Amino acid sequence: MDNLDAARMQMAFTLIFHIVFACIGMVMPFFMVISHYKWLKTKNPIFLTLTKSWQKGVAIFFVTGAVSGTALSFELGLLWPKFMIHAGPIIGMPFSLEGAAFFIEAVALGFYLYGWNKLDEKFHLITGIIVGMSGILSGILVVSANSWMNAPSGFDYINGEFLNIDPVKAFLNPAWFTQALHMTLAAFAATSFAVAGIHAWQIYKNRNTPLHKEAFKIAILFGAIAALLQPLSGDLSAKDIAQRQPAKLAALEAHYKTERGAPLYIGGIVNEEKGEVTHKIEIPKALSFLSFGDFNAEVKGLNDFPEEDRPPVAITHYAFQMMVGLGTLLMFSAVVYFISIKKKHWQDKKRYWLYFALLSPVGFLALESGWIVTEVGRQPWIIHNVMRTKDAVTPMPGMIYSFYMYVVLYATLSIAVTWLMARQIKALNHTKL
Amino acid sequence: MPILARAYWISSADHKKSIKKTVYSVLGPVWEANHIWIIILIVILWIAFPVFYNVIIIYLHIPLTLVLLGITLRGVAFVFRHYDAVKDNSQKLYDRMFEFSCLVTPIFLGMAFGTLISGNIIIPDDPATANFADVYIHPWLQPFPILAGCFFSALCVFLSATFLIGEATEYEKRMYMRKAGIATFVVVVLGMAVLLTGYLEDMKFISDFLDNYYALGAVALSGLLLFPLWRSIKRGHTVTCRFFAGLQVILILWAAVGTHFPNLIITKTGPVSLLEGRAPDSVIDVLGISLIIGGLLIIPGLFHLLKSFKMIKILEEKE
Repeated sequence: MDNLDAARMQMAFTLIFHIVFACIGMVMPFFMVISHYKWLKTKNPIFLTLTKSWQKGVAIFFVTGAVSGTALSFELGLLWPKFMIHAGPIIGMPFSLEGAAFFIEAVALGFYLYGWNKLDEKFHLITGIIVGMSGILSGILVVSANSWMNAPSGFDYINGEFLNIDPVKAFLNPAWFTQALHMTLAAFAATSFAVAGIHAWQIYKNRNTPLHKEAFKIAILFGAIAALLQPLSGDLSAKDIAQRQPAKLAALEAHYKTERGAPLYIGGIVNEEKGEVTHKIEIPKALSFLSFGDFNAEVKGLNDFPEEDRPPVAITHYAFQMMVGLGTLLMFSAVVYFISIKKKHWQDKKRYWLYFALLSPVGFLALESGWIVTEVGRQPWIIHNVMRTKDAVTPMPGMIYSFYMYVVLYATLSIAVTWLMARQIKALNHTKL
Repeated sequence: MPILARAYWISSADHKKSIKKTVYSVLGPVWEANHIWIIILIVILWIAFPVFYNVIIIYLHIPLTLVLLGITLRGVAFVFRHYDAVKDNSQKLYDRMFEFSCLVTPIFLGMAFGTLISGNIIIPDDPATANFADVYIHPWLQPFPILAGCFFSALCVFLSATFLIGEATEYEKRMYMRKAGIATFVVVVLGMAVLLTGYLEDMKFISDFLDNYYALGAVALSGLLLFPLWRSIKRGHTVTCRFFAGLQVILILWAAVGTHFPNLIITKTGPVSLLEGRAPDSVIDVLGISLIIGGLLIIPGLFHLLKSFKMIKILEEKE
């Protein structure tokens, strides 16, 4: 593995882990606050136990997300110094605002965690809401910086120099809204289905069922709503990519030939050498329609892009298929949940809980696949059509060893956090209400 | 805040329990906020001073990665210890992780700063043909940067011990006074060792430092402040002793930074200015506005947090 690939792998590996920690830290405060609100309204001890249990999860994931985020802020420079020397001043604004939002979240979390029986009840609850809101804001701001890499704006690129920098225009780049919306909904869907799935498994195993049923109800509601809204947001993203990143669109659809009325491929095996896709299901004209809102619109194929400007096709296509497939499964599951509110006898069946328990990792798999599409699909550019990734990598050799170190660190952290959560659930199951 | 843990690390086994209690209770409510200062510092550097930042991030890759490792372990160890649902032997593991990472993080941070001013950094004309060890290891793995790292860590111990005097019980107070005394001695010895090593190595920064009356004056004033500091500690004037300790550290850092400002990096081939290739005014303006808005929202919140939980005794209302 050469230095560039090792740096790419390290960045990918760090992002894959950070996104999980960050999403949970971003969304779980909302579950905690709803449960807290229900405790204040009903004084049912189940909600107090649940709130205090979830707040521990929030604290663990917040700090793990904070430290992995700190690592990422260093890594942007450590791995891609030539990118940061130019991009830093341009996309610094969302990062500095993100720092402020993150600080507010941390202060609010300090109040929330230590505020039991010390703060006014309403003020205490509000600090929990601030934790959630500032977490979402942090996420949106960071995604804005990423979307700038896909839709660079707010500067003039003249003779290899970045001139006339406008940080506000860079922050509000054309892709920020669609990407931020898609990511926020994905974070809710992934975290909610994961948390709901964990509680569904406890119900399936008959452990402290009343408590876990309340927990499931709170978590799944957020996930179900997000999963139903996500296809609409996905449609906005697809149209945005079609307009500004046609090579990415062609790669995620493994679409090699330029044609009008282009079909949509479902599944298929990509042969990058021959430039073809076999064993696929074709839906006539659907790609043209989904990309441009016109059944006969022209979709540019990969063959019409210079070879050195094409992203890796197979990985982008498979990741896209996985994201869409799993997202559709979550949407279907959301419908199942809403029907089960009316048909209550479904919830008496064990297989209902087993079904939701098995869905636990699905949202995160879809989310990670989506990020693979975003990042791999932008290659070979680190700044779309402006700077190639290979020109941004650190000149320091031996990045493979740095990559190994991060693999060990994050694998250990993941095992530790999973183990802590298992202990948390075990303790919860032994709580006498 | 995280440097308070240093006082715990240097203590004897008998006192660990009570120190641990004080340190963890003082750190608890603000721990979640404590990683963010470094993110903000990094963001300011890359936005406003990208060329300067680029030199640091490329040629100090390894010590900064080690700082990062320390920050990560320190952060998770504290929170794992506090929020683990089962309090068993794993607590000891979290404690060891916390102690170790709290010790090494400021050492590597100090080593990185020491390397910047040492004149050891080599910026090769062609990075592809440069010798790895010469460019990425030897500059920071030298006596001067190592001593600078130890000096920085000792400064942290000094500040921590002085801070904890005001937070501790009567019994612990005597112990923290002793720790602060030891830390002061270590700071002075290491400071002298740093200067002597630099002088013997004929380091440009040290010769410039010794020729700079303002820098020497700042260090001398910092030394003289020891007398009022000890008097205020003995009389139990918590606010005054923190003020003097903080002022001493600021004077030392000011002397170190002021000697060569804005040429804060000295390489084998010459200095690199902080202001070289700084971001355009439009960017600096937006950064400044963002920081002011953020500060106006954060500082009152943080102050209220410290006050609400009586985390810092000087904020408590007198009855």
